[in-house]
Amino acid sequence: MRHARLCLWAAAASLAWPALAASDLPPTTMTESQARRFLSQASFGPTDASVAELRAGGRQAWLASQFALPSSDFSGVPYVDPDSSKGCPTGSPATCKRDNYTLFPVQVQFFANAINQPDQLRQRTALALSEILVASGNVIKLPNAMAQYQRIFLRNAFGNFRDVLKEVTLSPAMGRFLNMANNDKPNPAKGIQPNENYGREVLQLFSIGLFRLNLDGSVQLDAKGQPIPSYDQDTVEGFAHAFTGWTYAPRPGATKNKFGNPSYYDAPMIAFDEHHDKGTKKLLNGTVLPGGQTAQADLEAAIDNIFNHPNVGPFIGRQLIQQFVTANPSPAYVHRVATAFDGGVIIDGQRSKRGDMKAVLTAILTDPEASSPQTPATFGKLREPILQLTHLIRSLGGISDGVWLRSQASALGEPVYSPPTVFNFFPPDYDLPDNPTLDGPAFGIFNASAAFTLSGVLQTALNGKGVAPDTTVTGAVGTKIDLTRWQTLAATPTSLVAEINRVLFAGRASTALQAALLKAAQIAPATKPLDRARAALFLATMSPEYLVEN
Amino acid sequence: MLNRRHLLSHAAALAGASALPSLGAPLVGSDYRALVCVFLYGGNDGNNMVIPTDAAGYAAYAKARGTAGAGGLALQQSSLAPLNGGGVGLHPALTPLADIWNQGHLAVQANVGPLVRPLTMAQFNAAGAQIPSNLFSHEDQQDQWQRGQSFSGNAATPMTGWGGRVADLQTTGGVVPMALSVSGNNIFMNGALRQGLTVGSGGSFAVRGFGNNPSANPLYQLYQSLLQQPYANAEEHAAASVLNQAIKASNALNTALSSGGSVAGLFNGHGSSIAQQLLTVAKMIEGRAGLGVTRQLFFVSMGGFDTHNDQLNQQNQLFSDLGPALKAFYDAMQQLGVANAVTTFTASDFARTLQPASGGGTDHAWGNHHFVLGGAVKGGLYGRMPETVLGGPDDMSGEGRWLPTTSVDQMSATLAAWFGVSAVDLGTVFPHLANFSVKNLGYFG
Repeated sequence: MRHARLCLWAAAASLAWPALAASDLPPTTMTESQARRFLSQASFGPTDASVAELRAGGRQAWLASQFALPSSDFSGVPYVDPDSSKGCPTGSPATCKRDNYTLFPVQVQFFANAINQPDQLRQRTALALSEILVASGNVIKLPNAMAQYQRIFLRNAFGNFRDVLKEVTLSPAMGRFLNMANNDKPNPAKGIQPNENYGREVLQLFSIGLFRLNLDGSVQLDAKGQPIPSYDQDTVEGFAHAFTGWTYAPRPGATKNKFGNPSYYDAPMIAFDEHHDKGTKKLLNGTVLPGGQTAQADLEAAIDNIFNHPNVGPFIGRQLIQQFVTANPSPAYVHRVATAFDGGVIIDGQRSKRGDMKAVLTAILTDPEASSPQTPATFGKLREPILQLTHLIRSLGGISDGVWLRSQASALGEPVYSPPTVFNFFPPDYDLPDNPTLDGPAFGIFNASAAFTLSGVLQTALNGKGVAPDTTVTGAVGTKIDLTRWQTLAATPTSLVAEINRVLFAGRASTALQAALLKAAQIAPATKPLDRARAALFLATMSPEYLVEN
Repeated sequence: MLNRRHLLSHAAALAGASALPSLGAPLVGSDYRALVCVFLYGGNDGNNMVIPTDAAGYAAYAKARGTAGAGGLALQQSSLAPLNGGGVGLHPALTPLADIWNQGHLAVQANVGPLVRPLTMAQFNAAGAQIPSNLFSHEDQQDQWQRGQSFSGNAATPMTGWGGRVADLQTTGGVVPMALSVSGNNIFMNGALRQGLTVGSGGSFAVRGFGNNPSANPLYQLYQSLLQQPYANAEEHAAASVLNQAIKASNALNTALSSGGSVAGLFNGHGSSIAQQLLTVAKMIEGRAGLGVTRQLFFVSMGGFDTHNDQLNQQNQLFSDLGPALKAFYDAMQQLGVANAVTTFTASDFARTLQPASGGGTDHAWGNHHFVLGGAVKGGLYGRMPETVLGGPDDMSGEGRWLPTTSVDQMSATLAAWFGVSAVDLGTVFPHLANFSVKNLGYFG
């Protein structure tokens, strides 16, 4: 526990913690190893430059600087007519459909931004939220629609979770994905009920989960030792009714505007009160919405009802910890982050608001457990393929336009923004394969098949030649890790291994791994330094110590 | 922290080793047998898969489902693929399966779902009823199906699948695990001792980057010895164990998978993922001699069954992939001469409400209809079709959610018994089987 001051706020909300000026934490207290570990958690992988910046200013200054950076964005994905025969009429270039009717351009830009743009923490946060509040490209295939959806997370990454929840709820992409768009009031004549899809998943996945939680994330049990459900079927139906009456905003130039508007993704959904159920609605915690309210009033009340449920802090907080730091945070860690979510911390002399994402992120990333694990045996997480790829490129000083990384993430089972279902690529409580008492979320898509695919990905990434630019993509530069300096280092195998240890393992590679790398670096004769460098780097990146971040 | 799943595994740990199946008990029989689980992720609408065709049954169904084209979902009776003598018809896109019915080898199990013990509607409505946990939640009901062990509250079992628990009965693990998935990781194939293996449905299964003959490459030897390190960190340990298992099985499986497969022609024209997955299974069955196994469990899957809207179109597309794929696989097993040794069955999260929801879809429900097919299967309708009446005697909610009349545990145990699990071991693999008077549903003559 190197920064004891940082953990005081957990015990008493009145203690001022992030008010510490950067000068309170002498930058020299942060070793390079600590900086690299922090930047693996808080960014898409450390670079020599980002390590230097962090060490010069310290964590708080780095966070403050990240909070202030403008958001990266997706460009070149304007509104197109959803009918591809209109957007790409006969005679259009072959890339027209790819660039306007598939997720290709936003997936490529996601990786380009992750590798190249400075707003690293905003992007990491947005990615984390995109894996919790999922609207998948399986259904949302228009790049413009997905870009608009992902902007919710980029825009609100350092805002408030209530805004995230509300904007997601009214997002046309989510409206389409979980059928809140055009969800009509009951029609007794036809025997049709409101659609329960969004009403159920917003509770189960986006906010509170199945069971009542304590602030430390543990499940509340009844007198018989059974978990206490946080809602029942009647509650789901209550939300399903509360969320009736919304449809897409009219398309540009539309001559009609009515309930049942065709899909349009550039503006939030709009309400038609004559299609909103006017009955009472059972919500959470015994709240019953009065009958006769407008769709807008019911929606605000429903969002408030969810947002203020005591589960949100521990439920969302724990998943965010898993996304950034470790698959198995201690209850105390979850408690501290949930407390920050609940508004229990002081920032700049003021008590933070409930749902303040800056407070939550600061609590997650500056927690003592993140920097000096209490239980190293259970600390850390398997890097999910997206983060494995970005860490590899950034830490080895590679370049990428995102095109190849996009395709490789997909091959590894993680096509960004396009998980199989609303349950993401993997569940947060996926059992660790050989120890089911622990969580290993990313193990949900790690298996023999994925491991073999990964070996091919690494073989290509480390071939020294890189992947040539895709000439059909404007401004493409390809993906390349230049091995020149590694080749030079290979003249002295111990130096090569030391450098690999420094940049890929934050200086924490085991002695067994270092010994193996040293042998690998000497399989080829000294006259073949590139082979030496490649062998050592390949073995390093294939090792369990690299696959897992801890 | 103790989350939901961990509560379950801790409960099991407290229950002690008696919850584990007896070790070392061999499977009965030395002939070759395989089970193929076809998981329909999202919750398949069984109400439009198996439709009553008697006059009263169809009329009740049509009334509750509502008119297609006006927000309703009723399929035209004339469009159904008739199952002669069954009193039911299949969705038209599943017509290829009617062929198998006519050959006498398609079983339709009506209204099956998670049940810890038999429940009448009165018992279900009574206070303190033992109702399966987290009904209508995708992930939880997938768990219940794949475990083959319905549970209520947290008084459950280890987080193992019934396929994995059957694999646990083997005395040794073998080079290639008994349970193989060509469709991602799943609970079905993981036991307490034996983990299933996920192979892709691609054509190779080998590590890359070590040249054409890895075992002669000193770098590969370094890699293998790295994987044998003890790894005190749990996540690293788990990663190493996945990699070790992969490498161990690689040679044997690569030979089977990289072959074209003599039955590939039967899958020509079926480019769907499910067809290609089943072709991959067929290749592994064809190459079984090289795998050193006489019993195999396979897992394949399709997604997209969560049809909350536009169900008529979506389910039609899904069934247009599923029906021909199952038929091609059935034919492939005949061509390979193992028709009687391979049984295929469907599973899914849950059924869907009989009553339509806004948007031309349906919501999450409970008891569902499923298929069991193969040369050893005695075709017919098993169980009782629910009365397709909203608020009727089988509806536990008013929207057409069927209280199951058969348990997943019974269905799974019937399959496992055919696979060779002895009566004694069935009781440990399926602890709740004791709650049901019928232990074997009789799919196999």
